[in-house]
Amino acid sequence: MKRIVFLLVVFTLLLAACAPSVATSQPAATNPLVATDAPTVVAGAFDINNWDSVLAAAKGQTVNWYIWGGSDSINAFVDNFYGKTLKERYGITLNRVPIADTADAVNQVLSEKQAGKDPGAVDMIWINGENFFTLKQASLLYPDWAQKIPNSALVNWDNPAINLDFGHAVDNLESPWSSAQFQFVYDSARIKADELPHSYADLKTWACANPGRFTYIAPGPGGFLGTRFVKGALYEISGGAEQWQNFDQATWDQWSPALWKYLNELEPCLWRKGETYAKDEAELKNLFANNEVDFSITNDITGAGTGIAAGLLPATSRAFVFDTNMIGDFNYVAIPLNAPNKAAALVLANLLLDPEFQAAQILPENGFGLGYAIDVTRVTDSAALSALQSASTKLGDSATPASDLANSLVGDSAAEYQNLIEQGWAENVLQK
Amino acid sequence: MKRIITPLFRFTLYLVLIAPLLLFAAYAFSTRWFFPQPFPAEWTTTTFQRAIHDSRTLSSMAQGLWIALLVSVLSLILALPAARVLGLRKFRGRQLAWLLLFLPTIIPPLAIGMGLNILFLQIGLAGTIAGVILAHIIPTLPYTIFTLSSAFARFDENYEFQALALGASPWHIFFKVTLRMMTPSLVVATLFAFLISWSQYLLTLLIGGGQIITLPILLFSAASGGNPSIIAMLSLLFVAPPVLVVAFTARQLNQHGEEIREQY
Repeated sequence: MKRIVFLLVVFTLLLAACAPSVATSQPAATNPLVATDAPTVVAGAFDINNWDSVLAAAKGQTVNWYIWGGSDSINAFVDNFYGKTLKERYGITLNRVPIADTADAVNQVLSEKQAGKDPGAVDMIWINGENFFTLKQASLLYPDWAQKIPNSALVNWDNPAINLDFGHAVDNLESPWSSAQFQFVYDSARIKADELPHSYADLKTWACANPGRFTYIAPGPGGFLGTRFVKGALYEISGGAEQWQNFDQATWDQWSPALWKYLNELEPCLWRKGETYAKDEAELKNLFANNEVDFSITNDITGAGTGIAAGLLPATSRAFVFDTNMIGDFNYVAIPLNAPNKAAALVLANLLLDPEFQAAQILPENGFGLGYAIDVTRVTDSAALSALQSASTKLGDSATPASDLANSLVGDSAAEYQNLIEQGWAENVLQK
Repeated sequence: MKRIITPLFRFTLYLVLIAPLLLFAAYAFSTRWFFPQPFPAEWTTTTFQRAIHDSRTLSSMAQGLWIALLVSVLSLILALPAARVLGLRKFRGRQLAWLLLFLPTIIPPLAIGMGLNILFLQIGLAGTIAGVILAHIIPTLPYTIFTLSSAFARFDENYEFQALALGASPWHIFFKVTLRMMTPSLVVATLFAFLISWSQYLLTLLIGGGQIITLPILLFSAASGGNPSIIAMLSLLFVAPPVLVVAFTARQLNQHGEEIREQY
């Protein structure tokens, strides 16, 4: 009996080991599906420099947009604003594919590559950072389009916060959708505005004066806002954000001990004495809403507004920022190289940058809550311009004032620091 | 004393079974229910309205039900011959056959799913309902085979021989004797297959590649966002079909059990 079990285990392992090599040795041409699907690709031919040909090719297509589906209000926004408009104006059907993690879409594209499947299933992915870098490195993204869609003229491509995604060159492979900035959320019914901390040093004082009432999100996959919290602390301790824009191991070695020292001094004052941390934004939001801690963290330009509208936060929630070192960035959409409906994806990417929809996306009641990707000063149409300007004044009390956001804004650090911070935090703070 | 204890016990049992569902319902029909409020302060049907009017919710349920039904039927057809031989016959390699059939319960579904996805992509099954159904049969088969083979172990073939001696055709024997005697186990096996397929997340996600959306896909996606109302609403919709199916079959099985008792 034991021997049989052993043989079975060996057999299974062998099977598992064989699988990938079998997969790659099979050329795509043997796939009958590719042959049958090929004519539709030819029929949808277009020239990206001729936008009318893109529109003509996109008509009647279905765009499969793989997008994080965890927020009901974002889902509704996507369906109601883009879905309807695509259908009415361009004859395109939007198929929003809700995924629990953007990495799922990346894995789908990688698997399709391994199996040689072209066309694949994914037309567009809401993406940034590591997921973008993974697909870029594997050369699996549709190239040379982002600056060729008409509305890309409204994007300030000279801004390093836009043309670099976590320090990696965007290289025309993805187009921005919206912007975000790190902020804290507090409940004005519990804490007065003049008691709020203004820096990481202040925060430590506050946390230790109110033990157990603060925690942050564990840095790591799924906890990128936690990583961002730690990066902000690193910026403050080292005296600014500038030196972290390019990777330098010596700089890291110089400052990281002070960072771990700060976080370890903070730890005993944290919620549950830092034995455990919130694993993602949703968990921290819950802890905050249920009065277990006094601060939450958000990336929304609407501050607490979207959370209040969705019933996730108390109505008295407000957002605030420290005086500086609040990291802001942009998020993007990318089109896989084997996307079956590239023309429709291009039309959608262009629609995302349309001033009308940019103005709609920052209003808290519409449920999206992230900021502009376009540079408002580039908008020439006066009606669109006034819509954009009035939208940004309608964010209400629950948002951080725009001047505070602008004054505290700093860029994200080079991508190489991401892993150093996440692994270093696990080793030096969580497990020490 | 017994007259009090039995209903009390029964009541407690019902409470334990129903309490989680009540909690789901409370979350699904309220908003802003934060600690330390003992009960929801703001009741609302917004989440319910949204879920019902979202064509995606209903289509995902319909698709999941279809897949689960087809998986149950196919799994039974595949399991019946295997279970019969495993239950009734002793032969060399029987243990090995058992182990092979049970491998899917030991090997992590992620390992199966990743390999299967590549294979299915190559042969054009990925992203199709047929592919998802085939993939679901893998984890359901061990359960249907196990349920049916233990029933076959208690099965007396002499009933079939008797019918044969009386001149019945093989089809006649299969439908009128074998299947009739196996009904309770067939119902239980179907139920297992249905529940396993209905609640599959990983294999549906990997093989369906986002093209095939069932309720668990929506549920996991919502769970990552942490909105308790929506998670609770989708969970209620998720447990409804299994609860109904179990309630219905339990009734059927009870009746059948009484019929059998009457015969003796």
